Order: sequence, then C-alpha cells, then structure tokens
Amino acid sequence: MLPAPRREAAAPSAVPYCYCSPPRALPARTKYRAPPEAAQPEKEPVRYANLMYDRRVVRGNTYALQVVPASTQLDLFEIQRQREARRRALARKRAKEQMQLRTPEPVEGREHVHVQTELYLEEISDRIIEVDMECQTDAFLDRPPTPFFIPAKTGRDVATQIEEGELFDFDVEVEPILEVLVGKTMEQALLEVMEEEELAQLWAHQRAYAELRNAELAEVQRLEEQDRRYREEKERRKLQHMQMLQKQKETTEKIAAWAFAKRYLTDLIPSVFNNLRESGFFYDPIERDIETEFLPWLMTEVEETLEKKVLGRMMLDSLIRTVVEKRLDAFSQEPLSGQTEAPTEEPGPIDAAPQEADETEAADLPVTASEESDQPVAEEQLSRRISFQLEEPDRAETEDLETE
Amino acid sequence: KSRLLWQPERESFPGKPGMASTRISAQLPPDIDPTKAPIAFGRRALPKLNEEIQSPEPLTQQHALMALCDLVHDPEKVYQAIQIGFVENLKTLLLHHDSTVRQKTTEILCIMAMHNVGRQGLIQKGVISALAELFDDPVDICRKNMHQVFEMMAKFPEGAADILHAGLIPLLMFKLKSELDEIQELILDTLSNCLRVEASEALSSGAITILKQKLTHSSVTIRSKAARVLLAIGTHPEGKVVVGEVIPVLVSLLEDTDPEVQASATGALMFATVKPQGRFSALGAEAIPPLLKLVAGETSKARLSAIKTLTMLAELPEGRRKLLDHTDMFQQCLNDPCEAVKRAAEIAICVIKWKPY
Repeated sequence: MLPAPRREAAAPSAVPYCYCSPPRALPARTKYRAPPEAAQPEKEPVRYANLMYDRRVVRGNTYALQVVPASTQLDLFEIQRQREARRRALARKRAKEQMQLRTPEPVEGREHVHVQTELYLEEISDRIIEVDMECQTDAFLDRPPTPFFIPAKTGRDVATQIEEGELFDFDVEVEPILEVLVGKTMEQALLEVMEEEELAQLWAHQRAYAELRNAELAEVQRLEEQDRRYREEKERRKLQHMQMLQKQKETTEKIAAWAFAKRYLTDLIPSVFNNLRESGFFYDPIERDIETEFLPWLMTEVEETLEKKVLGRMMLDSLIRTVVEKRLDAFSQEPLSGQTEAPTEEPGPIDAAPQEADETEAADLPVTASEESDQPVAEEQLSRRISFQLEEPDRAETEDLETE
Repeated sequence: KSRLLWQPERESFPGKPGMASTRISAQLPPDIDPTKAPIAFGRRALPKLNEEIQSPEPLTQQHALMALCDLVHDPEKVYQAIQIGFVENLKTLLLHHDSTVRQKTTEILCIMAMHNVGRQGLIQKGVISALAELFDDPVDICRKNMHQVFEMMAKFPEGAADILHAGLIPLLMFKLKSELDEIQELILDTLSNCLRVEASEALSSGAITILKQKLTHSSVTIRSKAARVLLAIGTHPEGKVVVGEVIPVLVSLLEDTDPEVQASATGALMFATVKPQGRFSALGAEAIPPLLKLVAGETSKARLSAIKTLTMLAELPEGRRKLLDHTDMFQQCLNDPCEAVKRAAEIAICVIKWKPY
C-alpha cells in the first residue's frame, strides 16, 4: 500500500462521511524512462491507468493476508495493549456468536453436514496454499526506434526511367523563388523610394511656399520702406515750409522795423541838432563871451549906478520928507501952500542926488532901512529902467531924468 | 507602411516534448541579417528592444539598435517608441564609447526626425541639447547624422526656436569653417531655417565674413545654400545692413550657371535692397541687366524674386529711368500662370511708372 497523504475533508455539514485519505485515481507509471538528453521534465497529460492492471494493487486473497507489523520489537505497553485488544476481540466474537443466527438443529435422524456446492471441489484446509512467485520489472527500456512504416503493397509495379534534366528544370523551378525574391526586393525598394519621394515632395512644397512667403515679406518690407520714406519726406517738407514761413515773417518784421526806423531816424539829425542848439551846445564864442563876461559886468555896473541913483533918490526922499515934515510941522497951520511945492521939489532933490552920491554911500545902511518901505515902488521903477537900459546903457541917465 | 523584413518562419511552440527553443536547427537560415536582434511580435517588439538597449553588453546594444533602425521607418512605431520612453535611453547612448552604437543611435534619431510625431517627441525630450555634445565626434557619419537631425528639426518653427534657445548658432558658424562639404551643406540649411526666426546671435559671431567666403566656394550647392542663409539674415532689419556689404558678390552670383544659385542670390538681393543703402550699392554694382535676364527666362525659379528686386530698385529715380525702357518685359510676365508672379509684375509696372508729381 502506498502511503496515502492525509487530507482532512473540509466539508463540515453536508458530508456524512469523512475520508481519512480520500479516494483518488492513481496516475500510471511511465512505461519508459525519460530520454537522457531531455532538458526539463515535461508536463505530460496525466494518464490514468486501469485499476485492474495496476501492479500496486494487491491481488489474491485478502481474507487470509498476513500483514507484517511495522516493528518487530514491541514495548511492554504495546504488548499489554495488544493483549487487551485481543481479549476484547475475543469477547466481542463470543458475544457475536451467541447473537448470531444459527441454523436450526437438525431434525431427528438427520445431520447437518458442510458441503461444497461449487462445481469443483476444493480442499479446505488450514494451510493456505502458498506458491512462491517472483516478479521483477524489466530494466527501463529505451524508446525503440519507430519501425519503418512500410505500407502494404498495393497496386501494380510499374518501372520508369528518368533522364537527366527531366525532373528538375532550373529555369522553371527558379521562377517562383525568383519572383518572390525579386518581388520582395522591389517592394522594399519601392517603399524606400516612396519614403524619399514623399520627403522630397514635402521639401519641394515647402520651398515653393518659402519662396512665396519671401516674396510677400519682401513686398511688405518694401512698402514699409516706401511708407517710411514718404513719411520722412513729408515731415521734412513740412519742416521746410514752416521754416520758410518763419523766415518770411521775420523778413516782413525786419522790413517794417527798417522802414519805421528809417522814418524815425530821418528826423533824428535835425531834431538832435535842434535840441542841441536849443540846449545851447552850439554857441558863438564871442556872443557867449559877451554874455558870460561882459554883460554881467555891465549889469553889475549898471546896478551899482542905479543903486547909486536910488540911493540918491532915497536920500532925496528922506531929505524931502524931513523937509516936508519940517515944513508940515512948520506949516501945520498953513496946509494949502505945502501942496504946490511938493511936485516941484521932487526933481530938485533928484538933481542933487547924483552930486551927493559919494556922500550918501557912508549913510547907505540906515538909508536902506528906511528905504524898505519905499522899496517896492523904487524897485519897480528900477526894473523898468533896467529893461530900458539893457538896450541903451549910454543914455540911461538922461532918459531917466526925462521920464521923471 | 512598415518596412518589411524578410523573416523566416519560426515556430515558437515546442513541437516535441522536451525541445523548446525557437531554432529548429543550429544553423541559421542563410539570408538573415546576423547583426540584427530578433524582433518580437506585434506590440512586444519595441519594449523588448528597449530592454535590450539598456543591457551592459555592447553587442546586444548594437543588435537592438540595428533592428530599431529598421522599425522606425513606420510612424506608428515611432509614436510607440516615444511613448515607452525610448528617447531617454537613446540620449544616454549618444555618449557611448563605441562608435557603431553612436552611429546607429544618431541614425535612428535622424529617421525619427523625419516624421512629425518623432519631431514633436524629440523636442519634448530635449534631444537637441543632448545632440550638441556630438559636435566634435571623431566619426564622420555620426556628425553627419547629427547635423541631419538639426536640419530636419530646423525646418519647422518649434524646432528652430529650440535650436536657437540651445545657443547652437555660434557653434554651427564655427563649424562651418572646418567641416566637410556634405556636413557644411546641412549646417547651412539648418542656419538658413533658424536665422529666419532670429539673426542677432549669428551677426554677433561674425557670420558675414564666413558666408562671404562660402559664396565663392567651388561647390554649387554650398553657394546656393550660403546665399539662402544670407536671404534669411536679410529678412531682419539689422541683417539688411550687414548683407548690404555682400551685395557686389551676390550680383556676381546672379550670372552663375546654376539656376539654384541664381534663385538664392536673387532672393538675398531682394531683401538686401529694401533699405536705401542696399539699393544704391546694388545699382552701383550694375544689378539691373542680370536681373532683367532672369525675369525674361520663362521657367527660371528666380523670376518672382527678380521681379521683386527690380521693384525695389525702381523706387530709386535712377533705377526707374533705366527700367522705363523695359516695361514690356513686365507686361509679358502678366501672362504667367503663377498668381504671385502676375501680382508682382503689376506692382512692378506701377512702381516704375510712378511720377513724383
């Protein structure tokens, strides 16, 4: 018996019976051993053998089988246990026998006899018929070579002869191979050429497009340039025009200024000379000399003379006054006779005045003090006289006398 | 369409017990490329190659790169590659010590850049600055591929902006002096596309002297591409002043035998003559007769640019005087099938006949 692997059946409730070692179909042993040069053991399909032809199954009597115990040496404990088991078995057997149904006792005069009813009688004895048989498996055989399959001969024998060149015609045979080879090569070549052509087409297309694009770009740049030039030109012209206008304006202003200045300046010299002349820058030196020197002297002299005259007249006036006062006092009783003498006496003192000029100089100071009251009248007379005398200084005295 | 690899039929399931490899026999089929890694089926292909690329063995990396190189011709694969993060690994591989690895990596990036998806992905992952490390790579083909990537990226606006941001213009100008002719062409293409966006960096690194030299190079393509770079510089105002110095050389290029060179030179002149100083120097260099010849040629590529340049020159009184005799040529151009040429001819006639009063 092969040692069976213990497998506990895991089904808990539904399984009524639990195998200690569940039954399994045993695979067959390989008939031939593996070839020596095999690299790995192959996973072959499992072949189940027929149980009836399995060498491992025990054949023959199973009811009288002697099982060799595992160990010949037994412990005391084991021996005791075995004895106990035997006793119990015996007891069970006795009990069973008693329980067993037996055939009824034979009727009187008859006897039960054991009889064999099979076809062939068999000698029943305690001694088991033993036959020694030996068995040995054959040494593993190598796989025998496959026998040539020689089918049974059928048909008729016919002979033929093949000349050289008949069976194999190179030109014909090589055609399909060549065609395949050439075809594949051509196909590959076509593919390569197509690839390159595709690329070349793409680049040609791109070049054409690039040309157009360049042309357009150039056009755009040219127009830009043109536009820039025109714009700059316009700006320059505008600037130029503005400058021209500016210049024109300046020129008109200049002309106006020039005209005005000219007109203004035409008068300039005469007016300047006039002004100068008026302010006395051009003078006749003799005239000036006369004016600056001669005339002041003359005037001072005239003044002196007139003062002398005035002094004289003052003296005279004072004389007259005193006289008149005296006479008045004297003639206070006779006022009528005094009036007719007054005017005749005035020229008289005046005549006496120039003669007494030298004498009166010493008494100038007190005289001038009394003259102050008579001064405005005297002054008036003096100025009138002076104005006359500017023109004719020689005849001053005589005229003076005449006007008096 | 994906590029087909002729793959032999392979059974990947074990036909017999115990024999479980993908190879039926120890000898490989005779027509397979042994330098490529086998590609897994369907969607698994790229992730598997991604893992192989990161392996420490250079041989595996090379095989994986060769296989990848064939796969990226398909745009869907490119998209998938970017999604699963191939580009970071490729960036690290750019600095590999092995030249084959670098060469293949740059080739892959080059093919990726041919597709729009690829370009977008490359920009997002910042590949341009990583590629800039390879400027002084000793292997020619690596540099060539790298410049091809730049050229492809520069062809569209975000790529050009990216290259400008990475400050590669002075480097490119410097390399222009010393590189091989093929690579110079690629550099010139890159520059012409980038400088269209912004030209100040190039001007500050002395572009004009270098380009002036290239205008007289022996190779036709280099001349035409150099003229194209000048065209791109001329689209900016500060560039016009600088290009004005090169006008005499450009005028001499107008009589070049190759139509490409003529077209590019005319285009550069077109932009250089926008400013008055340029116009005067162009007139002084006798630009009008060759330009008239170009306009007269019915199939010349330079027709449109020539008409435009003459329009610019007609803004000057001297130019107008000279061109008044040739208005019939512009009348002819009015019958051109191309719409742009017709418009340009109309504008030219208008400008020539303009009077100040």
